[in-house]
Amino acid sequence: MECNVAIVMIHDYLDDELPREDKIKLKEHMKICPSCEKRFEQLQRTEAFTHTAMISGLSESRGDGKGRSVQAVAALTSRIMQQMPPARKRKPGFVDWVRRHPGLTAAAVFLLVMLTSFFVMWDQGTELIVKGAGEDLQRIIIDGDTVIVPPGVQIHGDLTIENGTADIQGEVMGNLTVIDGSLKMASTAKIIGENREINQALDWLWYKVSKTVSGLAY
Amino acid sequence: MISIEAHLARLSLKGDQQAFAEIVSLYQEKLYHMAYRMLGNRQEAEDVVQDTFLRIHKNLDRYDEKLKFSTWIYRIATNLCIDRLRKRKPSYSLDAQPTDHEGLDGYSMIPSDNRTPESEVLLSETQQIIHQAMATLPVKYKTVMVLRYLQEMSLQEIGDVLGMPVTTVKTRVHRGREFLRKKLERVL
Repeated sequence: MECNVAIVMIHDYLDDELPREDKIKLKEHMKICPSCEKRFEQLQRTEAFTHTAMISGLSESRGDGKGRSVQAVAALTSRIMQQMPPARKRKPGFVDWVRRHPGLTAAAVFLLVMLTSFFVMWDQGTELIVKGAGEDLQRIIIDGDTVIVPPGVQIHGDLTIENGTADIQGEVMGNLTVIDGSLKMASTAKIIGENREINQALDWLWYKVSKTVSGLAY
Repeated sequence: MISIEAHLARLSLKGDQQAFAEIVSLYQEKLYHMAYRMLGNRQEAEDVVQDTFLRIHKNLDRYDEKLKFSTWIYRIATNLCIDRLRKRKPSYSLDAQPTDHEGLDGYSMIPSDNRTPESEVLLSETQQIIHQAMATLPVKYKTVMVLRYLQEMSLQEIGDVLGMPVTTVKTRVHRGREFLRKKLERVL
């Protein structure tokens, strides 16, 4: 057996972790290797000395009253207890709830942020917005917040009006959408496509979503 | 069935000061001895004990009852000791004799150690050599040696306290032992 293997075995022996058969092997090796035997004895004594030195210094200094006396122990105890914050009233408060349910908290905060931004978006833009094909837009008349499709005029594409009144006297071939406004139709009016009025937040949201989705689809 | 400590922890969490005082009396001496062996200084050892209990008290609600209470409290205390040792000036040898203080080495300059010369004499020469050798042990070996030989913990327990694998603990015990053997060679 090599000496470096033997040294590892010596340490394992001192840790009380050397298997029986290795103990025999180590013994055999030390019979023929005086340096390992010396090493073993030195380490064994180091171990014993360290152990006693660690323990004895403390008990001795206490025994003769020069070190840690009963009074010193009591003094430290009272010092520690004085440092303690007064008994906390532990009502399971909001913060505790938050700490215990991180997932729910995150979901709630997310929802709150989403709703806030959604309503902010809903509230903003009280000005009139008209969307449609360029040539169609030239044929309509805007009077204040009223969008007039004059009689006899034919709008070929879709027409979207936000925050305004639509006064349809002519023909709209595409879809007509009125958001946050009202629709007036003259008897001459003709809407070929779909005609929708959106006034509630949820309808508006649905409109935005379905438009996005159909926009993605094409 | 939960341990006594876990039971006391529950009580003091409800605001029972007496229960916490009980925990303090259970562990104060053990922690003090450990800190004293780590730091070699009474005042600092007391400070570490105090800090440990403050932390314990503050974090009682986070104590995991699956973990042994002693493992938890020793983990906090060893970390505080290691922090203090690391904050000390590095590469300052206690054995070096400063030129302006004839005959005084670093040991005589450690403040607030109440050991009197008489009690110093009571320590055998061998023990003094061992204590001096211990003082020069690198922190990572010192920690495992103190837990092993003072607290008489198993390698597994030391691993739990320090949060490291048993194999690492074993290596450190072996190296620490070899370190001390070399320092003690002339008295062995």
